[in-house]
Amino acid sequence: MAKARAIVKRLKAVKNIRKITRTMELIATARFKKAMDRASEAAAYTKKISELVADLSQANLEFHHPLLEKHETEKNSVLLVLTSNRGLCGGYNSGVLKAALKRYKELTASGQNVRLEVSGKRGISFLKFQGIAASQTYTHFEDRPTFEEVDELASRYIAEYVEGKIDRLDVAYTEFISASRQQAAVHSLLPISALESSVDTTATAQKYDYEFLPSAQEILEEIVPTAFKARLFKSFLDAAVSEQIARMVAMKGATENANEMVGSLSAQYNRARQSQITSEILEIIGGAAALE
Amino acid sequence: MATTEASSTTAVGKITQIIGSTFDAEFPENQMPEIYNALVVKETIKGVAINVTGEVQQHLGGGRVRCVALASTDGMVRGMNVTDTGSPVSVPVGKGTLGRVFNLLGEPVDGRGEVKTEERWPIHRKPPLLENLSAKTELFETGIKVVDLLTPFVRGGKAGLFGGAGLGKTVILTELIARIASAHGGYSVFAGVGERTREGNDLWLEMQETKIGQTDRSVIEQTCMVFGQMNEPPGARLRVALSALTMAEWFRDTTGTDTLLFVDNIFRFSQAGSEVSALLGRMPSAVGYQPTLGTELGELQERITSTKNGAITSVQAVYVPADDPTDPAPATAFSHLDAFIYLERKISEKGIYPAIDPLASSSRILDPQYVGERHYRVAREVQQTLQRYRELQDIIAILGVDELSEEDKLIVHRARRIERFLSQPFLVAEVFTGKAGKITPLEDTIRSFEEICAGKWDHLPESAFMYVGSVEEAEEQAKRMAE
Repeated sequence: MAKARAIVKRLKAVKNIRKITRTMELIATARFKKAMDRASEAAAYTKKISELVADLSQANLEFHHPLLEKHETEKNSVLLVLTSNRGLCGGYNSGVLKAALKRYKELTASGQNVRLEVSGKRGISFLKFQGIAASQTYTHFEDRPTFEEVDELASRYIAEYVEGKIDRLDVAYTEFISASRQQAAVHSLLPISALESSVDTTATAQKYDYEFLPSAQEILEEIVPTAFKARLFKSFLDAAVSEQIARMVAMKGATENANEMVGSLSAQYNRARQSQITSEILEIIGGAAALE
Repeated sequence: MATTEASSTTAVGKITQIIGSTFDAEFPENQMPEIYNALVVKETIKGVAINVTGEVQQHLGGGRVRCVALASTDGMVRGMNVTDTGSPVSVPVGKGTLGRVFNLLGEPVDGRGEVKTEERWPIHRKPPLLENLSAKTELFETGIKVVDLLTPFVRGGKAGLFGGAGLGKTVILTELIARIASAHGGYSVFAGVGERTREGNDLWLEMQETKIGQTDRSVIEQTCMVFGQMNEPPGARLRVALSALTMAEWFRDTTGTDTLLFVDNIFRFSQAGSEVSALLGRMPSAVGYQPTLGTELGELQERITSTKNGAITSVQAVYVPADDPTDPAPATAFSHLDAFIYLERKISEKGIYPAIDPLASSSRILDPQYVGERHYRVAREVQQTLQRYRELQDIIAILGVDELSEEDKLIVHRARRIERFLSQPFLVAEVFTGKAGKITPLEDTIRSFEEICAGKWDHLPESAFMYVGSVEEAEEQAKRMAE
């Protein structure tokens, strides 16, 4: 009976796990829909504003903005890593962290002082384990990051960049391409020139002649930081929606695996039980026959 | 034949009943043969010569005795004459037995003529007295990594190889013969109990080819073999282990050398006992085994022991029916052993041979007192890592490896390497695997596992650890694979 009991115990454990993973899958599905709406709304806005900045810079106007200019020497850079606060989302965190770690090593190898900022408990504990100190950690970005929260971060980066305290900002996050495709990526957000090059291939089909009112400089001063903020906000939204998708997929797989396991454990249990019954009957019959 | 000098009052009786491999005989009341005496039936009926030896098991009263036949009872009829030999079955002992193959009655079966020895010893003997037992405990190195590290053998002790059907018990036993006997100066005795006859033949041929150390003498010259294989009736399988043991005891007691005793397969001994048990009128006990299972095995196992005079180091294969180690037969055998090796089907399914379960196997001397602090620590660390990996396996199966914490990921990473590193190419499997057998010194084994646990070899791919000797060979294999 010892063996059958052990199987029953495992079977119960697996069934409980299945209940949890099934629920998590459903929750992730619901959250995913909301997160995706937010991300796709923001995507349109971010795209347009990036195009605008790109157009403006192509418009051959004489203008300057500190965020657009590359610092002569790159010494201090910031790497912002966006991970999730919660686990059970498959390879979501390890993908981002792997990409981030690679960039971190490249940057340190090229002699830069890298300041690491991490959002999400998963990333924090990973870096702790790796023995890499993070200078800033955030755990308040959940699955619905607000613009105000991101704005606070973004304003600080802008200030620091303008003052020359930092020369570069990289963000490691999971890029949301489509509902079926997400990709861990590291993008440079500051200086903004790096941003433009990625956009201009799509956005420069047409050229516009702009008239600036009151002046190009004033508009630029408004639009460049906004573009940066929008871009950063988009990263957070992408990360949030990707997390939900990753969790949905991982939990779906887990539920299926648990189903399979329940099946094979049930079969094992039935067999153990049956053979136990058989051997008991045999013993009784044998004993009875021997007494005759 | 097994007859020693006939006692002055040779009793003759008649067969009164024959059931399967047991028969009853009736003797004059004052000439009852003693329990365990050998009885001989030698007659010709309708032109067929019958020559069967039986062993007295029970006195039924009224001058009747019940015997187990040690050969097939085919052709026997009631009323045949039975002669009491006055003593138990005896086998020739001495140096004359070396290089020869016997059956349980001590008759040579290798077709090389008579065996000349000065003495014959009865196969039923008393175990050595407690005061004569040797108290030494010393590690016996085999050169097999997993065995030396986790289940070190005891010199003069008993080791058991437990495993279900087809997991490679016989292969490991043959490997141990090739490793130990070829490096060993003393004598070896091999008992083939109820296993395939072909395997016995293979072993015999192989022993003729294998040389002892650097000399050109073959292993068989220092070995004697006793077979009672699957084709024999249960009585033969029940007694053949005793015959072999008696020969080994002579080497121990008379020459005082270290003697090796290999038994394949001790389960068949219990099985044969259970086959005749019901015929002898005993009530079946748990799982249908004989009620005397523990006694029978104890009488055999207690004799396989080392005395102050000489040592018998024994390796026994134990079949585990239906992969269930709680079955009474293997469970009874378990308690007699110093080192316990359990072969696991799941490991053999992964293609890792020897398929030794590193967590279920154990040894009495895996203790800092005997093997030293370092060996003990490394062995336990290996087991801890593998134990943790096993605990995590359900989680990995359901949620995937990504959900583990970083510490656990590292443990899984190392455990998978350790698991593979426990494999080793065998000398006797060279022709099948195409890989030369590896003998790994104990020191290399301990160091290799220590370094893997410490994370020195984390960078090598898993497959580099398959079938190598020391860990440096894993590194070479990784390089070869990269090319």
